[in-house]
Amino acid sequence: MNNRIKELRARFNLSQLELAQQVGVRRETIVFLEKGKYNPSLKLAFDISRVFKLPIEEVFIFGV
Amino acid sequence: MKKTILIFVIAGLVLVTLIFWAVNSKLSGGLPEILMLAGALIVVGFAFFLGAMRLRSKLRKEPAEDELSKRVKTKASSLSFYISIYLWLFIMYISDKTTLEADSLIGAGIMGMAIVFFLSWIGIKFIGPRYE
Repeated sequence: MNNRIKELRARFNLSQLELAQQVGVRRETIVFLEKGKYNPSLKLAFDISRVFKLPIEEVFIFGV
Repeated sequence: MKKTILIFVIAGLVLVTLIFWAVNSKLSGGLPEILMLAGALIVVGFAFFLGAMRLRSKLRKEPAEDELSKRVKTKASSLSFYISIYLWLFIMYISDKTTLEADSLIGAGIMGMAIVFFLSWIGIKFIGPRYE
């Protein structure tokens, strides 16, 4: 599963730590997500999508 | 925060006990003793490292544990359990071929389990949990 977290984070001018604090995870988790080394739980995926004000399927692209 | 303090206290107590043991037992400097001491120091060092990481998270106002760290811990536990089965089989196999006493073999097994967990944790943490 791919995601657009890095791109959206740059667009919203958010650091990894700021995004991590907003969704209640550690910065390391955001690093792993951006590298595609970790698939988030549904709750975390929804939380991240809410930060970017986008539907979940526009942030996380399944099957690519 | 309580858990972080507890980690430091326990690791500190183990370290102090190790120092007392090393000073009072007049170590002969043989290979089994050195291995035992090195293993114990790795385990204590790992505990201090975990405590320091939790402290760093606290300072950054991050949660000490989140879904990734829990998954890494769960995966490391399951992998180390799987490896430990073979470790104990190996210890059973060498128990007849060595002059070591039963309590030394059990101690080595427990220490081995701790080291295997440490190595599994390090591996999974840096590679990242694989997808099911």
